Amino acid sequence: MSRLRLPLLSSASTTLRRRRSPRSSYSSGAVITSSSASHHTPPLKLQSPLFLRPLSHSASPSALLSFRRWAESLARSSAADLTFDGGPSSSELIREISWLLQDATSQDGDTFLLRTDLEDLYRLWRQRIEERRPFQYIVGCQHWRDLVLAVSEGVLIPRPETEEIVNLAARVEGLQDGMWADLGTGSGAIAIAIARMLGENGKVVATDLSEMAVEVAQFNVGRYKLENKVEIRQGSWFEPLQDLQGKLSGLVSNPPYIPSSHIHGLQAEVGRHEPSLALDGGENGTDHLLRLCEGSISSLKPGGFFAFETNGDKQSEQIVDFMTTQWSNSFHDIKIEADFAGIKRFVTGFRR
Amino acid sequence: MEIDGLKSLLSDCAEDKDMCAMASEELTEAFGQEKRLLHSLLKSFLPKDDDDERDCILEVRAGTGGEEASLFAMDVFKMYEKYSQKNGWKFEVIDTKESDLKGYTEASGTLSGRGVYGKLKFESGVHRVQRVPVTEKSGRVHTSAVTVAILPQADEVDIVVRNEDLRVDTYRSGGSGGQSVNTTNSAVRITHLPTGIAVAIQDERSQHMNKAKALKVLRAKLYEIERRRLHSSRSKLRSEQIGSGDRSERIRTYNFPQGRVTDHRVGITHHSIDDVMEGQMLK
Repeated sequence: MSRLRLPLLSSASTTLRRRRSPRSSYSSGAVITSSSASHHTPPLKLQSPLFLRPLSHSASPSALLSFRRWAESLARSSAADLTFDGGPSSSELIREISWLLQDATSQDGDTFLLRTDLEDLYRLWRQRIEERRPFQYIVGCQHWRDLVLAVSEGVLIPRPETEEIVNLAARVEGLQDGMWADLGTGSGAIAIAIARMLGENGKVVATDLSEMAVEVAQFNVGRYKLENKVEIRQGSWFEPLQDLQGKLSGLVSNPPYIPSSHIHGLQAEVGRHEPSLALDGGENGTDHLLRLCEGSISSLKPGGFFAFETNGDKQSEQIVDFMTTQWSNSFHDIKIEADFAGIKRFVTGFRR
Repeated sequence: MEIDGLKSLLSDCAEDKDMCAMASEELTEAFGQEKRLLHSLLKSFLPKDDDDERDCILEVRAGTGGEEASLFAMDVFKMYEKYSQKNGWKFEVIDTKESDLKGYTEASGTLSGRGVYGKLKFESGVHRVQRVPVTEKSGRVHTSAVTVAILPQADEVDIVVRNEDLRVDTYRSGGSGGQSVNTTNSAVRITHLPTGIAVAIQDERSQHMNKAKALKVLRAKLYEIERRRLHSSRSKLRSEQIGSGDRSERIRTYNFPQGRVTDHRVGITHHSIDDVMEGQMLK
């Protein structure tokens, strides 16, 4: 795996659309800076994930041990307060501490080299517990399928359920050398995983409205050396795909699908920290899904495959109902696929 | 023969320095040769196995002895890790279950490299430890035991696992799942319904990887069952049984107060326990 390729991300343009001001000052390393005031806006700076940063700090084994003890006891004493909204249990938190240290340290004889200073580790863990900052934002990465993807505030953390969408795409025959699209790519997870299983001539175009997502996805594509296979374009849904009308072999998406009224009751890690741009699906949660269904009529070529993730069960059924009644001339083999928990999570089908 | 001759030459020529030096040099060489011959002789006695060249899966489990057994299980697990590093093999931890004192109640790993299974297959069995546990205040020596299992790795060709025979259990958040939930719990348990064998993996950070590892271990376990079935039908025809691979067979006793390791399979005692634990001489 290509390691230590530091981000060469820069974008001369515009400001970050932040839905809310940050609640707290994150450690200097994790802030994504952008200045909205100045005219010549500085390039956005994506802090590289913890595990890719240089080993420029050190600590004694005993200092690290006392960090671990402190972090574990904080986890144990706080877990009861976190689980009420579906937050992490103490054993999950304790495993996260091991992973945090795995990402942050490297042993060299009797001393440990660190990728950030010890104080920052304390700060990061306090954020994890007290602010419910998602672990994946703390370490700046998410392990997903066999990939390690950079993630950052402003970009949805790819979910384990979504791993399955790649398997669904892999099962389709005869489209491996065509053009695929991943709409609302976020970190680029689906696009990258699909690109790695496509044939020699297969390509993926991945779009996202969020500038932050575009940067993170570009970084991840670069880390897996897929620049020739995955093209990232900024824009809303099909807008950046005008040149590919009727040419797509495959279309996949994990669009925002949570009904607006559910947003404020979400688990703190999600509701307080992840971008609502990537979560909020409108009144019924189906606003974007319906647009995707409609758009796939004109963008998929005959025989082309689509797979969309939904909020599950009823929402999947709604989408299937809609497609079979409204657009039965356009699609065939419309199916619902369950996720690992048995929830009807995905809608798949083919363009006639 | 040569060794005896050189020895007597050495004692006869105490005055002749040159001769003495030459004789002792030859003696050293002869000893070395003797050792090599013995080793290859011993190896030729060992039954060959079609699976010798395969990679393997190592499982270490704490047996009798509570916390002390878990601590020793960790020592043994690390011993194999060091041994495989010395041999230039690749060692990957599959899963560890920690005890209260950070020992291992169970640990498993994969070892890959040339002839790994052939080299390690006779390690399967009971490893006994005699020492004063760190938890023991009165200084009394305890005897505890861990069991080691070495399984040859099997791929899709060796063992076809049908999807419908598997039950895959994962962490379930309850509620809608998907975007509504953030979790780092990616634990996977796979149960092979026809045999009831279950493998649970939680150390990897993605569900996909946990599942892949669990399948790998499951495949090795099913392959081992198949091997045993074949083996037992074959061994009825065989009079001798070297290293039956029986899990209850005693392999070694590691006596820390006396600094010795006794290999029960060949009845040899080493007096350098530290080297053994450092993975120097598991032969």
